Amino acid sequence: MTVDVSLKLASGEALGLFGASGAGKSTVLACIAGIDEPDDGFVNLDNLQLFPPSLPLHRRPLGYLTQEPGLFPHLTVGENVRFGISKEVAADCEQNRWIETLRDHLHLGPLWPAPASLISGGQARRVSLARMLARKPPLVLLDEPFAGLDRRLVRELIDDLIFWSQTMGFSMVAVDHRAEVLHRLCPRQAIVLEHGRIVQQGTWNELYSSPATPLLRSLLAPI
Amino acid sequence: MNIDRHWIARAGAILFALALLYPLAALFARIGPWQWGEDVRGPAIASMRVSLLFTSYSMIIIVAIGTPVAAYIAHCRVRERLLWQAVLLIPILLPPLALGILLSLAFGPYGAVGVWLKRFGVEMTNSATAFVSTQVYVGMGYYVLGAVAAFDAVPRILQKQAALLGLTPWKVFLRVTLPLSRLGMAVALSIAWVRAFGEFGAVVVTAYYPSGMPVQLWVNLQSFGLPAVMPLLVVFLAVALPLPWLVHVLAQRGRHA
Repeated sequence: MTVDVSLKLASGEALGLFGASGAGKSTVLACIAGIDEPDDGFVNLDNLQLFPPSLPLHRRPLGYLTQEPGLFPHLTVGENVRFGISKEVAADCEQNRWIETLRDHLHLGPLWPAPASLISGGQARRVSLARMLARKPPLVLLDEPFAGLDRRLVRELIDDLIFWSQTMGFSMVAVDHRAEVLHRLCPRQAIVLEHGRIVQQGTWNELYSSPATPLLRSLLAPI
Repeated sequence: MNIDRHWIARAGAILFALALLYPLAALFARIGPWQWGEDVRGPAIASMRVSLLFTSYSMIIIVAIGTPVAAYIAHCRVRERLLWQAVLLIPILLPPLALGILLSLAFGPYGAVGVWLKRFGVEMTNSATAFVSTQVYVGMGYYVLGAVAAFDAVPRILQKQAALLGLTPWKVFLRVTLPLSRLGMAVALSIAWVRAFGEFGAVVVTAYYPSGMPVQLWVNLQSFGLPAVMPLLVVFLAVALPLPWLVHVLAQRGRHA
């Protein structure tokens, strides 16, 4: 399937990518992150050209959360959170205070010395969130990071993300196949993908009141 | 699995171990008193030193060269990988005697490389260099194939996550790929070690002297018969086994549940 998408996001904005499974949402995020390489087009982040040519992953200033927490099992929770912080930055007092703020706000204190392989799925999501935020990325990509979690935990994580996006001012592109999750996370605008193409773009009110396709109508209908 | 099946599985595993270790029962065969006099003990200890020292050198070379090669192969596309697997299997497939003959011809005094090396005083027959290089040829394929499998077992998404957290490819390899593949690497290293340590067929052609333990076993058999082979065999097992076993133990340590 060909994915043909054009996105533009202002600084500090949140954009939801909505659609059925297989619509190409995750492919879009993977291309921005550099995990997949587009066949054509360009990807820019502020004045930094991510593609073409493909900028190496370690030079892309963004955070990426996926369905799998992606914690390093051979490290503790604390070591995972600090993983992306270089030794020089780690020695900085302000950076340490920032890590402590994240640790306390996300209730990771009791887990800090625990091996990452031994914590629960919900705890692992909070740790991966802390690890991503520790580097203060200007752009955060969320590829269904709440999959498989109970509603209470999803609500808590969404609240955390909204809090941190307001505090830190990062932009966010979120993908989910649940409209209520995306609506909460990205209340202002959403883009709907079907078969790799944008079929509708606008506010959630516009999507709910005038869905452009029958598939979108069925996705937005209550269960 | 209920208790009955667990015990059946355990009994099966014990039977397998007994079958595997059965040849060692021949150590108790009635062959007469074992010989461990000075004329046997002296050369045996010398051969033990040769085997331990030179196999250690071989392992250093195998790990130093084989690890980056394995890391490269692990990132290759399928077609190139198949080519690499064929390349690595060839020295493994060759009968050891054939490998020894080929190494002698290629690196010996009549081969182009052998002539060139001799100009720098490097002797590639019946020398320490010949011994070590033969072991490297014998063990390298086992190590690299095992290391590739170990690197493949590290989830790619973890390596990409590490890169997205700002780590360069080299640091991802050091801080994620290597630690998470250490058990597989330990297996690869221990198999290469036992293979190289116990190599006879190739080494007897390229480096009869200085004699390692496998060649000394052959010499003892020829010169003194079975009673001089058995004690050296026990020493061989006592010397060859601890290091690869220790590598496994160390790799298992600190492994979280």
